Amino acid sequence: MRQYRPSAMRQQKSQTVPQEPNLVPIMNLFLTIIPMLLMMVVISQIALLALNFSQGESGVSYGQGGGGGGAKTEKVEIHILGEQYAQENNTTLGMEIREPGFKPMTISAINGYYDYVTLNKTLQEIRSRKGTLSDITVLVHPDVLYGDLMKTIDICKVNGFTQVHYTATKVEYY
Amino acid sequence: MQVLDKLKSSNKSERRVRKKFEEAKGLSITSLLDVLTIILVFLVKNVSTEVIKISAEPNITYPHTITNDKLLEKAGTTPIKIFPDRIVVGTEALEYGSPADLLTNAQKRNDLLTYLKMEAEDIIQHQKAETCLLVQADYSIPCEYITEIVRAATAAGYSYIYFATLEDADWLKKYSVSLAE
Repeated sequence: MRQYRPSAMRQQKSQTVPQEPNLVPIMNLFLTIIPMLLMMVVISQIALLALNFSQGESGVSYGQGGGGGGAKTEKVEIHILGEQYAQENNTTLGMEIREPGFKPMTISAINGYYDYVTLNKTLQEIRSRKGTLSDITVLVHPDVLYGDLMKTIDICKVNGFTQVHYTATKVEYY
Repeated sequence: MQVLDKLKSSNKSERRVRKKFEEAKGLSITSLLDVLTIILVFLVKNVSTEVIKISAEPNITYPHTITNDKLLEKAGTTPIKIFPDRIVVGTEALEYGSPADLLTNAQKRNDLLTYLKMEAEDIIQHQKAETCLLVQADYSIPCEYITEIVRAATAAGYSYIYFATLEDADWLKKYSVSLAE
């Protein structure tokens, strides 16, 4: 009995139809990864402002001016005056910059808002005088808002004062 | 017989005819896949893995800053979130109480110090990393609360304190414009 191979004409149809790749698993993977990444994109918008307390500074120092202990380095101080302080001392709301060898400079608030533009210019002038100075102290009054403190520290860092010291006028608890 | 067979074979009514159905066309998702690929590449480029622990809180209004300090690569981070009405501490999001408790309740202050000490010791001993406190506070929080938290953290042995903000390179320009108006 003779056997015949399948006809070439029969095979022709199945050979010519191209098969599409199965994209469904890839789609599933993408549909899982993309929402997750979208959530993380919101996260990555957050920036960070760092204060370093590891270089001999034991924490928040308290008190007017001064800057606690250690070697008497040339320190520029920015006092952010609160509304309560301004009322009690009959002064204007604003900031005071104290620099060794210079008279304290007051930057008055404009319509109740701190004048960061003038602060920026003043720090630029100090930077031009003292090119190597990296330390600056920010003294904050209790009723000053956190946002104002962050903006002040930010301007200090923008002007090259990388070592920002945080000081407050408050009673010590610990 | 042959004639009969011939007759049977010539009977066209019995002949079966296969209907040719067109093959059902699958949904073409190739173009969608292209779009998703582009989005994926874009997202992978933009997502930073180093700040994976920091989740933006919708109830917190973050201050804007120009600078963006990088989180230390080898850092053990303890987050603390200060909302206008409550404080949430640690990665476990423990409810601490109201911000006012920091100033009025000595027991609460000690609890916070004890917790931060435990966390700092855990980071130093087990993770062998730098101790970092990550403060996420609302813009309108008075600094007296921030001061207490920073004070407690440094007393507990935290070397670095990070403040979460939103990066905006033009905030000072915008601020000067709004002041002029």
